Amino acid sequence: MSESGSDGGKWLDAHYDPVAGLYTFSSCVDLADLSGDGESRLVVGDLGCGSYSMKLKVYRGTVLMSESTLLDLPAGLVAFFMDLHEPRIPAVAVASGPCIYVYKNLRPYFKFTLPGLEVNTLEQDVWQQVKEGQIDPLTLKEMLEGIRKKANIPLSVRSTRFLSLETSDMDAFVQLHNQQPIRRQTVITCIGTLKKSTADEDGVSCLVIGTESCDVYVLDPEAFIILSKMLLPAAPITMDVTGQFDVEFRITVACRNGNIYVLRRESDKPKYCIELSSHPVGLVRVGKNVVVGCTDESLQGFTQKGKKLWRIILPAPVITMAAMDLPTRGFQGVLVGLANCEVQLYRDKNLLSTFKTPNVVTSICFGRYGREDGTLIMTTKGGGLMMKILKRTAVFDDRDSAPGPPLAQSVRLNVPKKTKLYVDQTLRERENGLTMHRAFQMDLSRLRLATAKAYVKALESSLTPMSSSLSEPIKMNAVVQGLGPSFKLTLNIQNTAACRPIMNLAISFLYDESLYRMRNPYMRIPLLVPGLIYPVETFVECTSDKGISDIIKVFILHEGQSSPLLTAHINMPVSEGLMLS
Amino acid sequence: MATACSVDNSKMADGSVATELPVAIDTKKRRAPKGTWLARDIVALATGRISRLAETLKEKTKNKSSVSPELPIVERRNWLIHQHYIRKDYDTCKVIIKEQLQETNGMCEYAIYVQALILRLEGKIQQSLELFQSCAILNPSSADNLKQVARSLFLLGKHKAAIEFYHEAARLCEKDWEISHNLGLCYFFIKDFKHAEEHLNIALQINKHDKTFMMLGKVHLLAGETDKAIEVYKRAVEFSPENTELLTTLGLLFLQLGKYQKAFEHLGNALTFDPNNYKAILAAGSMMQTHGDFDVAMNKYRVAACAVPESPPLWNNIGMCFFGKKKYVAAISCLKRAHYLSPFDWKVLYNLGLVHLTMQQYASAFHFLSAAINLNPRMGELYMLLAVALTNLEDVENASRAYEQAVALDDDKKGALDQYQEMERKVNLLRDGCTNFEFDPELMDMAQKMGAALQVSENLVWTKPGKDSKSKPNSAAAIKPPGAPLGTNQALGQAMSSAASYNKNIQLPTGVSKGPTMPFEPEPDVQKAPSLPIDPPGPTELAQSDNPKPRTSKRRTKVED
Repeated sequence: MSESGSDGGKWLDAHYDPVAGLYTFSSCVDLADLSGDGESRLVVGDLGCGSYSMKLKVYRGTVLMSESTLLDLPAGLVAFFMDLHEPRIPAVAVASGPCIYVYKNLRPYFKFTLPGLEVNTLEQDVWQQVKEGQIDPLTLKEMLEGIRKKANIPLSVRSTRFLSLETSDMDAFVQLHNQQPIRRQTVITCIGTLKKSTADEDGVSCLVIGTESCDVYVLDPEAFIILSKMLLPAAPITMDVTGQFDVEFRITVACRNGNIYVLRRESDKPKYCIELSSHPVGLVRVGKNVVVGCTDESLQGFTQKGKKLWRIILPAPVITMAAMDLPTRGFQGVLVGLANCEVQLYRDKNLLSTFKTPNVVTSICFGRYGREDGTLIMTTKGGGLMMKILKRTAVFDDRDSAPGPPLAQSVRLNVPKKTKLYVDQTLRERENGLTMHRAFQMDLSRLRLATAKAYVKALESSLTPMSSSLSEPIKMNAVVQGLGPSFKLTLNIQNTAACRPIMNLAISFLYDESLYRMRNPYMRIPLLVPGLIYPVETFVECTSDKGISDIIKVFILHEGQSSPLLTAHINMPVSEGLMLS
Repeated sequence: MATACSVDNSKMADGSVATELPVAIDTKKRRAPKGTWLARDIVALATGRISRLAETLKEKTKNKSSVSPELPIVERRNWLIHQHYIRKDYDTCKVIIKEQLQETNGMCEYAIYVQALILRLEGKIQQSLELFQSCAILNPSSADNLKQVARSLFLLGKHKAAIEFYHEAARLCEKDWEISHNLGLCYFFIKDFKHAEEHLNIALQINKHDKTFMMLGKVHLLAGETDKAIEVYKRAVEFSPENTELLTTLGLLFLQLGKYQKAFEHLGNALTFDPNNYKAILAAGSMMQTHGDFDVAMNKYRVAACAVPESPPLWNNIGMCFFGKKKYVAAISCLKRAHYLSPFDWKVLYNLGLVHLTMQQYASAFHFLSAAINLNPRMGELYMLLAVALTNLEDVENASRAYEQAVALDDDKKGALDQYQEMERKVNLLRDGCTNFEFDPELMDMAQKMGAALQVSENLVWTKPGKDSKSKPNSAAAIKPPGAPLGTNQALGQAMSSAASYNKNIQLPTGVSKGPTMPFEPEPDVQKAPSLPIDPPGPTELAQSDNPKPRTSKRRTKVED
């Protein structure tokens, strides 16, 4: 048997049905001996399609034993002992919507509905007035909006729905609904069990329910009356309950505001609060500690009083969590289903084992199934059902959390080898370093000299399109338009002096007369006012049909001087059209 | 087993057929559960389903039926939405939200809320902001909605507007860690460090979070209060002793302050908890290098090289490790890789120059050093190395100018003095070797000035008879004085500080990233350097910043071939 790495060695694959069609969460799965024959069944609250065909399914062995339709989405499911009758057969409570449906012997037995929430009196009055015909729907709408803005108690479903209606539908809606009293109902979000007075495994348990309205109720199992009511600061997601109602208990609730609250017997307010930096996905109590899986891909351990113990980073986001409790071997761990199709088993912060699953695991349940104590039941994202049995020989060593040097440490560095060429070049440099340096310096000086010379020459002969003379600072740019053979040549001339105008300028062109013909190769420039751009236009015709182009040089001259003020070279494009003769 | 499965499957198939049938038939066919349940439930269920089928149909049913149908509870699927949201199953989540909003005519606050959260995760911040605002209309008394509006504003960069919303939210919900933390964050971004500090401290009083500690430390660092920052990080490490980010940051801070023992302790802790922490590896590795533990440092770098294979400081440090182990060719190839990855890092060029000097490749060393000087003209060491290179290239004139520059920039003139004396010895040797050797009078003049500047009795040195019968090889004699201290300690210190300064998250105003860093020297000296009057780098050779690069890259390819 392999001891580490792949943990196929620790689990026996008992059953895998990839098309079981189960859509559920860990909170809706439980194992219980429903017929009192010593064989545990799997009870699953199946969400069906998410909006209809919700079912309560019971599996025995690998077979679906029974299924019955649920009226609403199951938010949670627990098996619990509600009385002391013999044989000891647990009932199943399914929380869905505002009700708890209790099944006994897999038959509907009792339905408990949450008490309605407090209704805003103002809202009630307004609807009363509508009923009596004192106000019309439009006024009603205004008043309800006013109530919504100010009141502490939220509006009822009817009012919110009414506020969303079009004016034309209001009358009908009011007619339809005004006979009924206003009610506000809430929804159960999670459910748990709490032993009533004894810690025995088959002791009578109370139901603990968390609601959307941020309440936690403890229900009496026989009379279904509310024994205790506690208030949370936010809506609960999932809870863990321990202790006995009559003695002392502790309800650890993960809430939607990203906090975990601990409720105790004495107080109706949370006793401790753990603020997490991201949303909790799963919460499992191991002994006296709480293990929380968070959306930031971490697993964190806390004491019962909310002190942080440890935090480890997981390789992928947490999808679901469950406790793995094996009292016969004194083993307690946490199973974590991850988004990378792995299930990891942790004891405290130590990873004990990992195994792969064919798909992402959506719910995990570990316990006694059939006659086997260590059975792991999982459902996967595609609706698959998987059952594994822990081998009796399997041992989980508490490996040290320090994983030793990472693998990367033994990877060789990617350093290129010494080549002969390199060695030769190095030797050459060593021998001739001086010559090389001098030759380089010499060439560098020559290069600089050549550059400087060219620059000076350009400046001296005004070859740049910027005039360097102080008395006549001129800038020019040229634009060539057209496809050929005729081009339009536009020269934009600007006097960049601060205030002095420039007069008596002319433009002349130098070009290959065998290639180009210019309409006016000599033009006078008008007086240049500083700052303005003067476009000077002329037309060039390409006389060659050989598809060649040339440079046209533009000179700006001062009248009476032969050296130009500035020069521009225009690279003419190749003429794409043929000359019409 | 096989039969069981087949039965199972047939049942499955049956079930799926049933679901495909029109829903109305489905409801009729379904056996009503026996027991104490009221028939009304089933009626409610049926009407509920039909209502979900089509809006128009529903209206008709409603009008016809005499009993008013019970409206579905708006929040009835909030828990399901949340379950999918925290499992990051956003596609399913969006489908459920859509259904829920259709069912409630867009009145389900939580559905809109989660929709907005998902949009924000997808980067559609403006849209999410609008949705959060509509949530705030549906439920104006919820601080959470306001917080999210503020958060979206914050992400859009509208920090001032975000601050207003956070203040509003704080009015609804006092003593909220998140609000105070985010307020601190907003003030941090508008550079109001005083307020930022205040709010972050409030957040820490309400509840301790690593994030807040981190932020507060950053605020202190940016405000230039390193001591306070260290205090904050110390508290943070006490609170969560396994947070590698905090440990690394604290370690790097100690490193910058020169408290090596403490720095190493924290960095070591960080590496214990996360052996792949790149920052900690680099910093700890450079400290090991300083102590000559090249093999251990290399082991650590190997891990980092797998994680971040294109990090210039990492390759720089690896290069200097090889240098320390006297594997010069490997050192050069690593340094050239670092140079290729970060061509404007003068520290890499410095090290390249140093290694080439050691390899007696003075022409190449000259290019690297002059490039480094162009990037960082305020560091005496560079001029000194350049002078060594020039001396070996027998360009005495420029060498002495470089020495002079080095002396001008170097506060403790010891290095320059050593070099100066070394050159004197060589001059003496030359003079003894060939009697008709004529020195440039300018050089003599300069040498005298330098002697005066260094307060060396000039007569004593210059007239010293050159009877050094040791006659070391020319190059070795020249390279040894700078090579010995630089190769082992200071250069590695360079490498180390280069590693430390690469940490982008820490930007100390007086930090390593700015100044030329000799961690063995007190920081203020480095800061003073730029204010010293400096002659423009005179030698023509110093002006060719662009030359070394093409050469090295050419060589580099050769090496890699």
